[in-house]
Amino acid sequence: MTSRAEQTLGYVILGVFSLIALLPIVGILFTALQDPDGVAAFGSLNGLHFENFKTAWEDGNFGSYLKSSIIVSVSVVFFATLFSILAGYAFGLMRFRGSTVLFYLFLLGLMVPTEAIIVPLYYDLRDLNLTNTYWALILPQIATSVAFGTYWMRTYFRTVPRSLVEAARLDGASTWFTLWRVLLPLARPAVLTMTVLLFMWTWNEFLLALVMVSDESLRTAPLGLSFFQGRNTSELSLMAAASVIVALPVVILYIFLQRHFIRGMLAGAVKG
Amino acid sequence: MAGVRFEGVGKRFGSVEAVRELSLEIADGEFMVLVGPSGSGKTTALRMLAGLEAISSGSIFIGDRVVNQVAPRERDIAMVFQDYALYPQMTVFDNLAFGLRRRKVPGADIQRRVAEAARVLDLEALLQRRPGQLSGGQAQRVALGRALVREPQVFLMDEPLSNLDAKLRTQTRGEIRRLQQEVDTTTVYVTHDQVEAMTMGDRIAVMNEGRLEQVGTPEELYERPANRFVAGFIGSPAMSFFTGAEVGLNLPNVVGVRPEHVRPWREGLIGPLKGRIAFVEALGRETFVGVDVGEARLVVFEEGRAERDVGDEIEFGLVESGLRYFDADSGAAL
Ligand SMILES: Nc1ncnc2c1ncn2[C@@H]1O[C@H](COP(=O)(O)OP(=O)(O)O)[C@@H](O)[C@H]1O
Ligand SMILES: [Mg+2]
Repeated sequence: MTSRAEQTLGYVILGVFSLIALLPIVGILFTALQDPDGVAAFGSLNGLHFENFKTAWEDGNFGSYLKSSIIVSVSVVFFATLFSILAGYAFGLMRFRGSTVLFYLFLLGLMVPTEAIIVPLYYDLRDLNLTNTYWALILPQIATSVAFGTYWMRTYFRTVPRSLVEAARLDGASTWFTLWRVLLPLARPAVLTMTVLLFMWTWNEFLLALVMVSDESLRTAPLGLSFFQGRNTSELSLMAAASVIVALPVVILYIFLQRHFIRGMLAGAVKG
Repeated sequence: MAGVRFEGVGKRFGSVEAVRELSLEIADGEFMVLVGPSGSGKTTALRMLAGLEAISSGSIFIGDRVVNQVAPRERDIAMVFQDYALYPQMTVFDNLAFGLRRRKVPGADIQRRVAEAARVLDLEALLQRRPGQLSGGQAQRVALGRALVREPQVFLMDEPLSNLDAKLRTQTRGEIRRLQQEVDTTTVYVTHDQVEAMTMGDRIAVMNEGRLEQVGTPEELYERPANRFVAGFIGSPAMSFFTGAEVGLNLPNVVGVRPEHVRPWREGLIGPLKGRIAFVEALGRETFVGVDVGEARLVVFEEGRAERDVGDEIEFGLVESGLRYFDADSGAAL
C-alpha cells in the first residue's frame, strides 16, 4: 500500500516530467501562431495567426513532400508489417534448423545504424538504377523495419500459449490458417503498436531521403522541412508552422490507434 | 473406432530420456489412464501419440496404421489440454465448430453436432459467450465439447481436471467417464493423481522415470502391485513397507501392507505389535493412525471415529492375507 504522501509525491514527479516533455511542443505551437511580421521569440503567444500554416504549406511545397512521404511510409509499413508477422511467426513458434543463427542475422539489421551502410547502399542502388526513385527509399526501409518487426513479433508470438497453436493443428487448421485466423486476431495490439512505431520511424527518416533522391518531386517531408529552414532562417513562426505540418500525420495516427492498444493492454491485465 | 499400440517407443530430449521403451496396447473403446509422478514421461507419451512430438524410436499404431510420420491432423484424434487452449476471440459455438469447419463438415451437420454436444455438456446457454466470460468449470466443459464434436478415433486428455477445485473435480471425473462410455471412444487420459486413475480407468498404466512400471485394472494394481513403486504409488494412505527385523517379527524380505490390513489387536492377526502413535487422521467414517514401530512406520485402520492421542501406545496386528513381499534389492514383487 502506498501512503497519501507517497501518492502525492508520485503525482508531483510525473507532473514535472510531463511538463518538461510538453513545454517544447507547446512552445512550437505558440511560435507557429505568432505574428509573422512581429519580433520572433520562441514560445511566446502574441495572437492566433493561423495563416502561417497556409503560408508555410505553400512556401514549403508541402503538397508534394507529404505525398512522397505518404507513398513511401504506407508502402514500407504495409510490406514490413506483412513480412514481420510472417518471420516473427516462424521464429516464435516453429522449430527449424538454423533458426537461431538466422534470427541473429535479423538482429544484426536492427543494430547497424543507417549511417554505417548509407554509402555502400547508395552505390548498390545506383548500380541497379534505383537512385532517384521511390524504390530507393522504400526497399532499404522495408529491410530495416523488418529487422525490428521480426524481433517484435517473435517476442509476441513467444507469449502465445503453445497449446493454442497445437489445438488448432489437431483441429485440422493449416499453419497459414492458424496464423491469420487464430493468432492474429489476438495479436492486434502488438501489430498496431508496431505499425505506429514503423510509421513514425519511416515518416521521420531524413538521411536516406537526403542521400538517395535529388528530384524535388520525390523528396519527403522531413527533407522539405530542412530545405525550408535554409530559405527562411529569419522566419521562426513559419518554420514552427512547417514543423507542425510535418509532425501532424504521426500524431493523428497515434491518437487514432492508441485507443486500440490501450484496450489490448487492459484486456491482458484483467485476465491476469 | 480404433485401438492404440505403442511398440518400444522412446523419446529423448538431448540427454534426457523422457520415455524409454514404452510398449502398451490400448483396446478399442478402452479408457486407459497414464499415471505417475511429475516428470515421469506421461505428457511426452501422449504428445507423441498426438503427433505433437516426434518419436525417437519405436512405432505408434492407431488402428492398424503406423502413425510415426502422419501429421497430427491426419491422425483423427482430439485432445483436451490442461489449460483448455480455447480460442479466446471466438464464441463457444465457434470454438466447438472450429475443427468441423476445418474438416469441411457440411453446415447442417455442424449445427446438429454442436447442438448435441452443447446439450450433453450443458453449454446451451453459453454458446454465444467468449472463453474470457466463462468460469473454470464451464471452460473445461467447452474443452471437452470441442473434443466430443469431432467424433474422433481417440480422445487424448492431459490432466484436464487439474485446474478445477476439489469438488468440481470429483463431479467432472464422473461426467467424463459417463460421456466416454456413451460414445465408446478409445481414451488415453494422463494424470498424476492416483485417485483419478483408480476411479476412472478401465486399465491404468503406471509410469516412473520414463518407464512403464505396470499395466492393469485398478483392482490388479491395488491387489497385486508388480513392484514397490506401484505398491507405494497406488492407494491412499500409501502402503507401508518394513522388514521383519525392524518390527520384531519373523517375516522375510521387505513386507508391504496397506492400512486396512493393519488393525487394532485382536485374536487371529499376526502380532501383537506395540508402537507409539505419531499422527491421527480422523475422517469421521474411518480413522488412520500412524504408528512408529522401531524403525518403521505403519498406518493402522480403525472403523468410525477412534479416540486416540499422539504419543500414546497402541497394540495392533497384521492381516496375513494382506501382506505383500518385495525383493529388498530390486523392489520386484515376490
Ligand atoms: N520439450 C522438452 N524439452 C526438454 N525436455 C523435456 C521436454 N518435454 C519434457 N521434457 C522432459 O522429459 C521428462 C518427462 O516430461 P513429461 O512427459 O512432461 O512428464 P510428465 O507429464 O509425466 O510430468 C521430464 O524430465 C521433462 O523435463
Ligand atoms: Mg505432464
